[in-house]
Amino acid sequence: MLQAMDLIAELEGVVGSDRVRAHPLDRRVFAKDSGVKTGPVAAVVFPESAEETARCVRIARNAGVPVVPRGAGTGLAGGAVPIEPSVLMVMTRMNRIVEVDEVSRSAWVGPGLINLDLSRDLASTGLHFAPDPSSQQSCTIGGNVGTNAGGPHCLAEGTTVAHILAIEMVTAEGDVVVVGGDHPDPVGLDLRAVVVGSEGTMGIVTRVLVKLTETPPAVRTLLIGFPTVEDAAATVSDVIASGLVPAALEMMDQAMVCAVENFVHAGYPTDAAAVLLAEVAGHGVGVAAEADMIARIAAGNHASTVRLAKDETERALLWKGRKSAFGAIAQSAPDYYLHDTVVPRTRLVEVLSKIYEIGERYGISLLNVFHAGDGNLHPLVSFDSAVPGELDRVLAAAEEMVRVSIEAGGSLSGEHGIGMEKRDLMGLVFGPDDLDAQARLREAFDADGVLNPGKILPEGSRCFDRAPTIGAAS
Amino acid sequence: MLRPGTHHRGGFVTTLDAATLRLLERLRPESLPPETGDVPVVAPRRIEEAAEVLAFAGDRGIVVGFIGGASRFDLGGRLEPDVWLSTSAMNRIVDHQVEDLTLVVQAGASVADVEALLADHGQSAILPEAPGSATVGGVVATGASGYRRLRYGPTRDRVLEVVLATGYGKVVRAGGRVVKNVTGYDLSRLAVGSMGALGLIGEVCLKLWPIPRGAATVRIDDPEGALAETYRPLAVLETEGGAAVYLTGTPEQVAAQSDELGGVAEPGHRWPDPIDTAMRFSVRVAPRHLAGAVRMILTAFPEAPLRAQHGVGELTFGLETCDPEDVVAVRHWAEGHGGAMVVLAAPPGSLPGVDPWGTPPVAHGLQVRVKEAFDPHRICNPGKLPGGL
Ligand SMILES: Cc1cc2nc3c(=O)[nH]c(=O)nc-3n(C[C@H](O)[C@H](O)[C@H](O)COP(=O)(O)OP(=O)(O)OC[C@H]3O[C@@H](n4cnc5c(N)ncnc54)[C@H](O)[C@@H]3O)c2cc1C
Repeated sequence: MLQAMDLIAELEGVVGSDRVRAHPLDRRVFAKDSGVKTGPVAAVVFPESAEETARCVRIARNAGVPVVPRGAGTGLAGGAVPIEPSVLMVMTRMNRIVEVDEVSRSAWVGPGLINLDLSRDLASTGLHFAPDPSSQQSCTIGGNVGTNAGGPHCLAEGTTVAHILAIEMVTAEGDVVVVGGDHPDPVGLDLRAVVVGSEGTMGIVTRVLVKLTETPPAVRTLLIGFPTVEDAAATVSDVIASGLVPAALEMMDQAMVCAVENFVHAGYPTDAAAVLLAEVAGHGVGVAAEADMIARIAAGNHASTVRLAKDETERALLWKGRKSAFGAIAQSAPDYYLHDTVVPRTRLVEVLSKIYEIGERYGISLLNVFHAGDGNLHPLVSFDSAVPGELDRVLAAAEEMVRVSIEAGGSLSGEHGIGMEKRDLMGLVFGPDDLDAQARLREAFDADGVLNPGKILPEGSRCFDRAPTIGAAS
Repeated sequence: MLRPGTHHRGGFVTTLDAATLRLLERLRPESLPPETGDVPVVAPRRIEEAAEVLAFAGDRGIVVGFIGGASRFDLGGRLEPDVWLSTSAMNRIVDHQVEDLTLVVQAGASVADVEALLADHGQSAILPEAPGSATVGGVVATGASGYRRLRYGPTRDRVLEVVLATGYGKVVRAGGRVVKNVTGYDLSRLAVGSMGALGLIGEVCLKLWPIPRGAATVRIDDPEGALAETYRPLAVLETEGGAAVYLTGTPEQVAAQSDELGGVAEPGHRWPDPIDTAMRFSVRVAPRHLAGAVRMILTAFPEAPLRAQHGVGELTFGLETCDPEDVVAVRHWAEGHGGAMVVLAAPPGSLPGVDPWGTPPVAHGLQVRVKEAFDPHRICNPGKLPGGL
């Protein structure tokens, strides 16, 4: 077992002393992501190549110290927060667009590339990267792969997994491998499909071949106000059932709308109990008819206001309102806790009303802003962690909200992932044999618990006794 | 009638004990697919029964082959199973949430039946367009996608949940019945295209798409140009008979896009007939190399029927007979362009020395470990996957 100083010296031997940090301040900064939990950091490394990443993994592995990959740290489930003292591999320096193939509509990019930078850079080509998490100004493509990130436009385009063709990664053994390929249906088991969403437990992603999507020639964006939350939710269900697939269908309740209006002044109707932000995109002739149809369905559900963005500036303003929702919350309370569950879209009304009831019962301040078209709920609680007992109350309410979603046939997480936040709730949706199968898969990638141990699967998931993780053994 | 004792078959020796025979009798299907020959067939009615068979087979080292509609029977390495496990008795539609656009269906349901039912609701699971006898489970297990993948993505993107009887004899559920989900490792995506390597797929939940009302097929001369100019066509196909763009959307939009293309437009989607030659091959390359692949095949086999999917990068072609060397040359070309050439069908012994898949994936070690994790006794379709897995 290496001493801590030896470990750092060895890592410095690979990447140089300026790219290894172990000062107490650095350890503090990297001890948390954008969720509520913190963890112990042994050292922070900023690799610049797959080769450096691989050598660092081998060093940590030999030292018996786990490795946790990290992008921008905007994750909300504690995926990038170590549970045992670990080496954090921060991938943000590997942020190049390596190669763009406009004909095949794909690009090799570094994992540290910021999501929005990719689409901005490609703007002149008429192509973009479709997954657009609200955090896209700061989160990385590697992090998006790690969490299988979603976003408003994933309703029509699918989440990150549908946009990843191949992944170069460093395995738990410290080898560099590629899964997937640039052609359709590469032969063999589709390992790429499970590496996406594996939250840094199957490999450290060092390069990604992303699929690029044609930017639609025409877009119509509608902001619709409703007198009740039920009317807005019913409109979502009706739009989906009508055979229309909008590009995006987002919902905010009144509390959220008011917070946003104070913050960005986008002209959202603050007297509405709920608003829908609906967008249709495609060929110029099709979108006008589709926008009309959404407006008609909304009118049938008592919509009080319908505003059609008249130009790109107004559209950008409406979206700014939606995408600044979390920033807006920061002004009203020191902390916020963001939930993430999914329910069948036909049960939105029922589950939402239960969520409000839970919020009331716990006396917490609750706002809703979410990807309604996917049934992906994001109740948001603003609170002050300095008040004793407050966080516990928020977490207890969170668990109840998860339970009502699952009772309605939903799932634990739609896009933020399990990480450590929801690890111990996995038993709510999966039985012992299901969890055991997932544990077998993880073991096939990382038998010794080198990569981000303790995440996703609750302890004891593997039905037979397994060797302790290397971190625990040391 | 089967009897206890040792059976000799194609050089394999199988010992069937009394307990195995009782199980086989209990789960005997009503009709037997001809492909199964004289090998016993069991057809469980529930996934738990399939798991029971696999647990039993694992203990005894009995090799189990999985069979659905046998439409892709020849794909992958040749199987010599001791027993066939058929999904023919698991063919129910379990749950169709019309308004949520999800469908839960048992693996043995026929693709044609499922799509007909969905069409009545103006929906589709975007399964292959000319499925023949294919079952939903077979499509998922082989990872087959139809022509509409240019617009809707491959089949994998629509598999939300899978119930699997694993090679170690347990029933495992993965994914969920919602359209967006990141709850744990998504084994359902891994099952797509797994060729039975993990176990028997018993039930799946699929994401559905509404079918827009407008549809047209426009004959054109320049598929690459049409692809570049048309916003999100359903498909751009080239066959030995010419090329066409398939459009979908509101009727007004389809009319406008047809005019823009300027070719001859027919209402509806007329998909090419399936290739029915004795041998069939799939060339898979990055989309930028597809036009080159078409030229290469037309030069090497001027008479061959072919179906090229522009923008996707897949080309299938058919031959009645051929020199294995020519097939090797095509594979050489495809792999040289970073792609693959897969043998979809070939009569036994017709392509000596030609591997069905070609060069195994780079991360072969990981492939082996994942296979072992789900099929520790190597009894589930062994040898079907690349590298003899
Ligand atoms: C204001 C706000 C809004 C958000 N909105 C959305 C939203 O709309 N949709 C959505 O899906 N998420 C959203 N998120 C969550 C978060 O932004 C996403 O999960 C994002 O994908 C994380 O990217 P990151 O670079 O910050 O990754 P990190 O937080 O650093 O890491 C996330 C996970 O990925 C792993 N990981 C990171 N990089 C790599 C790599 N190179 N190789 C292997 N594993 C890696 C980590 O180990 C960790 O498990 C939001 C977060 C915030 C703060």
